[in-house]
Amino acid sequence: MSHKFSAIACAAMVLLAGCSSKSAVSPSGQAGAGAGAGSGAGSAAGAGAGAGAAAGAGAVAGPVLGDIFYDFDSSALSKEAQDQLKQNAALLNKNAVQGATIEGHCDERGTSEYNIALGERRANSAKEYLTNLGISSSRLTTVSFGEERPFDPGHNEEAWAKNRRAHFVTK
Amino acid sequence: MRTRTNTTAILANAILFLLLLMPFTLRAEGASEYIAIRKQGSGRIAIALDKTMAKGGQEVQWASSVDATIKGGLDFTGLFNLLQAPANMHDAQGGALNFTALNSVGAEIYTGGTMTRQAGKAALDMEVYDALSGKQMMKRSYSGDEKQLRSMGLRFCADLVELLTGKRPQLFDSRIVYVSKRSGISISDFDGQNVEHITSGRQISMNPALSPDGNYLAWTDFTSGRSDLYIRNLATKTTVAVGKPGVSIAPCWRNGSDEVAVTLSFEGDHEIYLVKPNGTISRRLTNSRGIDVSPTFSPDGSKMAFVSQRSGPPQIFIQDLQGGGARRLTFSGSYNTQPSWSPAGDKIAYSSAQKNGEINIFTINTDGSGLLQLTGGSKYNESPSWSPDGSMIVFMSTRSGGRRLFMMNADGTNQRPMALGDGEQQQPSWIKGR
Repeated sequence: MSHKFSAIACAAMVLLAGCSSKSAVSPSGQAGAGAGAGSGAGSAAGAGAGAGAAAGAGAVAGPVLGDIFYDFDSSALSKEAQDQLKQNAALLNKNAVQGATIEGHCDERGTSEYNIALGERRANSAKEYLTNLGISSSRLTTVSFGEERPFDPGHNEEAWAKNRRAHFVTK
Repeated sequence: MRTRTNTTAILANAILFLLLLMPFTLRAEGASEYIAIRKQGSGRIAIALDKTMAKGGQEVQWASSVDATIKGGLDFTGLFNLLQAPANMHDAQGGALNFTALNSVGAEIYTGGTMTRQAGKAALDMEVYDALSGKQMMKRSYSGDEKQLRSMGLRFCADLVELLTGKRPQLFDSRIVYVSKRSGISISDFDGQNVEHITSGRQISMNPALSPDGNYLAWTDFTSGRSDLYIRNLATKTTVAVGKPGVSIAPCWRNGSDEVAVTLSFEGDHEIYLVKPNGTISRRLTNSRGIDVSPTFSPDGSKMAFVSQRSGPPQIFIQDLQGGGARRLTFSGSYNTQPSWSPAGDKIAYSSAQKNGEINIFTINTDGSGLLQLTGGSKYNESPSWSPDGSMIVFMSTRSGGRRLFMMNADGTNQRPMALGDGEQQQPSWIKGR
């Protein structure tokens, strides 16, 4: 699937280029690595201001819960998404963060109103997976922005793959 | 690309043939044939617009303002071919009309008038002639103060269209409510003039919908940090938020009622509910697993078309609200959304995401026949909404880069941008006059 390739490419780009954006795609997520990625994301966000319009803007200090990505018109969790959610659950279990708001996002294709619903289904799928791993649902809230807050403003599959995501804003 | 019923074409050709045999005299009762021809894109009414005569600085200014309104209004209808008036149109300066000169440039209709000042008010006297027979078809006077010049010009346009088509146009006092990315929920006249902003544009606001009586505006608003349905009483300027957990999406007022249908997810799944203007829930309309969204209603409010995932990817369904199940309307394409029920009740316009990456607007009869593709080769075309008389459709297109509003005839001809200011616009809804 091209989106998987893009998601991997995106993750690789983040590792190589020091994260060109404010969103955190967590690298092979141990707690220590998480903290490192967090500060990296912070400095890059300052340098690359205006690159994206991600909601929950602002540099995040400390551990970062990684985004997960979806296929077009789908809220199903891929193997990669499940792996990332397990890493996120590990951080939540360590109480490294208090909780998180899970933002559901979509790419610009399809229609704005349908995408608000799809974004909520994405956020809910991530939340349900985390609660099944034992995270208290009271620590997780969800919100859908549909296609209204794209991470990458581009109009191609590379951008769309990054925009079809659940984004974690830690509390 | 296009599918079209042959009977319409045959009928129109027959009418055209009969017209060619008939002597060229245009009467009001005969004008409906002109409409039939225009729909085939082959014959607009050739009209010579004379400059409105005026004496005195202010009168000349008023006349020029009214001329611009009339020209813009008539051009907007798509009914007319506006001719450059011939220099020898009058026998002398302000003299009798030279119909031979008018005929030589192909004019079928002539309109002209005078602007005078009476008791401080603008007085416009307009005349309409059949240029072929030289007979006067209409003579009418309009008056008002300086601020009413535009409405005077538009009233003349409406009278002229009614004269030539036999139908009073609903166009000239209709409005478009839409989302401006910069300025939020906005309302403009049919031609993009007189823009009024309802929200600030600082937060995401989406899918504005005006109630059939014009008293309430409903929209999705993110001011609270997430999507909520807001309903504003436009007279008292008070706003209520429905405030249910989850999302609130795509309101549409049910015709013949004062209730608005909207998708809510507070019960876990995305279902369509009817909500009263005070923000309380009246009843739930759908009950199926998956997304149900984007309701639109038949003119009498008895049926609802909407988007559902119940058969897989999004398709359009029609449900009878008096009872009975939903039937699937669209089978062509794998992502069909944003239905809009035509004012005549016979068609539904919708947008379809296609394999080639484009999103295009289609119309389909409510029985599933007569699929017609209206846009193509122009990137994303979304959010179709019918004009109150059903003759045109306003929609969003990215064909020129950003998201902008466009209009077209209901058969897809004459696609052109709306004359709105800078900035991106989307989610238009065409509404009846005040």
